[in-house]
Amino acid sequence: MIFRKKVLILLIAVLAVLLIANAAPAATLAGFDDNEIRIGQWGPQTGPAAPWGSVARGSKLLFDVVNEEGGIYGRKIKYFIRDDMYNPAQTAAVVKELVERQGVFAFVGGVSAAGGLAVKDYLAQNKVIWVGPATSVKEYVFPVQPYLFSVYPLYEDEASVLTKYIVETLKLKKIGILYQNDSYGKNGFDGLKQRLDTYKMSLAAEIPVEPTEKDLASQILRLKSSGAEAVLMYVNPTTAVIALKTAANVGYKPQWVSSNTLSDYPLMHKISGGLWEGVITGNFGEIPDSKNPLMVKYKEAAKRLSPEERWGTFYSAGILFADPIVEALKKAGRNLSTEAVLKALNAIKDYQTIGPKISFTEKQHQGSDSVVIQKCGPNGSYIELQGWTANDLATWKK
Amino acid sequence: MDHFRVENLSISFGGLKAVNNISFGVEKNSIFSIIGPNGSGKTTIYNMISGIYKPDSGRILCDGEELVGLSPDRIARKGVARTFQNIELFSNATVMDNLLLGRHIHMKTGVFSGAFLWGRGSRAAREEIRNREIVEKIIDFLDLQSVRNNYVASLPYGKRKLVELGRALALEPKILLLDEPSAGMNTEEKEDLNIWIKDIQADYRVTILLIEHDMNMIMGISDRILAMNQGEKIIEGTAKEVQSHPEVIRAYLGEEHGC
Amino acid sequence: MPVGQLLVEGLAIGACYGLFATAVVIIYKTSEVVNFAQGEMAMFSSFVAFHILSVYRYPFWLAFLITMVFSILLGILIEYLFLRPAKHPTILGMIVITLGAEMFLVGLAGWKWGAEQKYFSLPLDPSVTYEPVKGMIINNWAIAVFAVTTCIMLFLYLFFKYSKLGVAMRATQQNKHAAKIMGIRTERVFSFAWGFSSLIGAIAGMFFASRATLDPAFMMEPFLRAFAAAVLGGLMSIPGVIIGGGLMGLIENFFGYYFPHWKPIVAFIVIILVLCLRPSGLFAKHFVKKV
Repeated sequence: MIFRKKVLILLIAVLAVLLIANAAPAATLAGFDDNEIRIGQWGPQTGPAAPWGSVARGSKLLFDVVNEEGGIYGRKIKYFIRDDMYNPAQTAAVVKELVERQGVFAFVGGVSAAGGLAVKDYLAQNKVIWVGPATSVKEYVFPVQPYLFSVYPLYEDEASVLTKYIVETLKLKKIGILYQNDSYGKNGFDGLKQRLDTYKMSLAAEIPVEPTEKDLASQILRLKSSGAEAVLMYVNPTTAVIALKTAANVGYKPQWVSSNTLSDYPLMHKISGGLWEGVITGNFGEIPDSKNPLMVKYKEAAKRLSPEERWGTFYSAGILFADPIVEALKKAGRNLSTEAVLKALNAIKDYQTIGPKISFTEKQHQGSDSVVIQKCGPNGSYIELQGWTANDLATWKK
Repeated sequence: MDHFRVENLSISFGGLKAVNNISFGVEKNSIFSIIGPNGSGKTTIYNMISGIYKPDSGRILCDGEELVGLSPDRIARKGVARTFQNIELFSNATVMDNLLLGRHIHMKTGVFSGAFLWGRGSRAAREEIRNREIVEKIIDFLDLQSVRNNYVASLPYGKRKLVELGRALALEPKILLLDEPSAGMNTEEKEDLNIWIKDIQADYRVTILLIEHDMNMIMGISDRILAMNQGEKIIEGTAKEVQSHPEVIRAYLGEEHGC
Repeated sequence: MPVGQLLVEGLAIGACYGLFATAVVIIYKTSEVVNFAQGEMAMFSSFVAFHILSVYRYPFWLAFLITMVFSILLGILIEYLFLRPAKHPTILGMIVITLGAEMFLVGLAGWKWGAEQKYFSLPLDPSVTYEPVKGMIINNWAIAVFAVTTCIMLFLYLFFKYSKLGVAMRATQQNKHAAKIMGIRTERVFSFAWGFSSLIGAIAGMFFASRATLDPAFMMEPFLRAFAAAVLGGLMSIPGVIIGGGLMGLIENFFGYYFPHWKPIVAFIVIILVLCLRPSGLFAKHFVKKV
């Protein structure tokens, strides 16, 4: 089942790519005119991944704010959200529609690695800029793609920073890892390994898990008998909840540490029945009630413009993924063109809003290597443990 | 009025008239036989009586009550029991269990009171005792003592035929349809069967419809006989009348009749 | 290796598989249909329990009772709406119909409650544990699983052996034609089997949900495992599938302890081996079906 599903997704992705590749690059419409700049995003608004749909709506808030402040050189941003239901074939279809029918200038965000991989080459062929994919996929930016700019820190870098925190700040020596058996989990594992190697420490236990597994008793017992005092988890929310519940059942209480993908504390606290309290995670954005003036500003704006939205970590992520395009549009000046915006994007250096510091060069489109470290407090509140921290071991920067 | 009556019964399968306009009446507590070559529609009539097939037209009346349109289980509860040419038993259960299943329609108590025998004096317990008595009597009657706890699947063919007969009796039916009960039996067993059928008629006060190929048996025990060929009625009458009908002689008795 | 602890956990999750497999078998026994909507029926009932608990805020026992009634009705309704209208269905046709019912339920649950994971809990504090033997911790969840499974098994044993309906169900399974001729209302038997199966499935579903999270897809994996346990046990024998479930839980956990990579598939490998050696499962009575 698991394998079949993976194969299926891969097949659909390949098919989608083939379908698009076969079609000759369409005569793309200009993505803007004197009054508007068209920007699109796909994201699951319905279906199994709908909870991540808030990213696309978060970006909308940013554009609404920009428009409220008069737009960019008189041009308003016209923003399109398309529901791809987390289905790569659907992603390909909605992206084609936006590019060929609506004529969009750029895409921002975009949840789902499979969906992103399915449209990556199509966007490049049509010279459509894509900023801030809402997943971390190495293939997006290594090797560098001229039209694609990533904001999201790599899981490797995050895991490396978190491990440093566990060893140096928490002073825990025995570390185990529970990781999802896919590229997300393995990247986390690599980051952990890289950091431990520098300390000449070895792992107490490394336990892979399939994302659909519902019984983790043997995995947790293995971690328990390894004596791991801290367990790094690179898994999905459900797996994390099962892990915590099972651990409680067998009387195992390590320091749980996890990835930014599980940094929606109110949700995690709720679905784990409160067991999430005390879990430490990385994050690619400021905590929701951060005193950062921009965070305060956006929070106020959200209350005013989209009162139905929960001011959560994925919603605000939608803002920070889209921020660089707004910055580049401003820098590109009155004479708008794809080339001008690309030039502006490639010139971005140490640009920071509510996320990590971002820098791009022509040769480097992985924008950041920094995360913040947070801890889940009572009732799913956020406690900041450590501010923006870069991975000093980041291999790609050398 | 006849106790059991079939009026103008017809059914066709894909344009082929399997049973065409058959009518007959059966008196209470008599033995009524249907004869005819294979494929003449005898079993099809049974299947219509017991509700497995729905006739295209015609009526089936039991004590004046219409059976056409009722489901097989409703018809069973009206007092019509039957056996099958190919034996339809619960083969993964014991002889005793099969016979007790014949008592199903007589079990009045519901799921839960019937489920667990609360106390000996309870209604459920009394009902259970009565059901067991009736079944024991049938076991005695059909001489099934030696195999009562055997699984049906392990029994020889002849015994299975008897078990099926016994299960039909356990329903305490008004009408009993027997479909080739002697098929596959040896001469000795056939003789026993002959006696049993007469005994059933006498002891159980039941009306018997009989499909048989064994002419000696038919002619010996039937009160009336219906002869059929290719879905049509040839003649209905006493053994003598039927035996002497030229078409019966030609179509059935005179020729080899294969099984 | 924490043998005692693996034993407890393996048996507890195995009992859950077995319980759920029982639901599969009850339908299979009466109608020879593998109900692929089984997992989603349990999922839907668990969502109803969740809804009653979180929206109406009824006490747990009341929510539980309402859910039980609901699950029975759901089973009956699905049989009535999806299976019964099929005229002269083939086994494959029936399976396709149950797959349709499955998708329908997933869609309906997704529409009503959304795809986001929900918290579902039995009134059992997960942090209360007992340690009767050193190194063997038993928690409330496992105790509840063992107790409920034992009760249901006992009930099913008595039910199938002694009750009129239970006997009618067994008869219908063995020979539907003959059952009808015996005056057994086979349609009612099917309704009851589906209702009853749905009820047991819902109980198992709530155990699974309280161990993990509740979302429209949460029963897919447990269903596969329970189905495998049912195949292991022979698909016909209820004690067989319970033992099949237990074996499944134990094999997965003991093997998975050493080879976590292989945990998700080890049980399926065992099943393939078993089926090669004993095609009708470990505990099926062999009998040749009349043609």
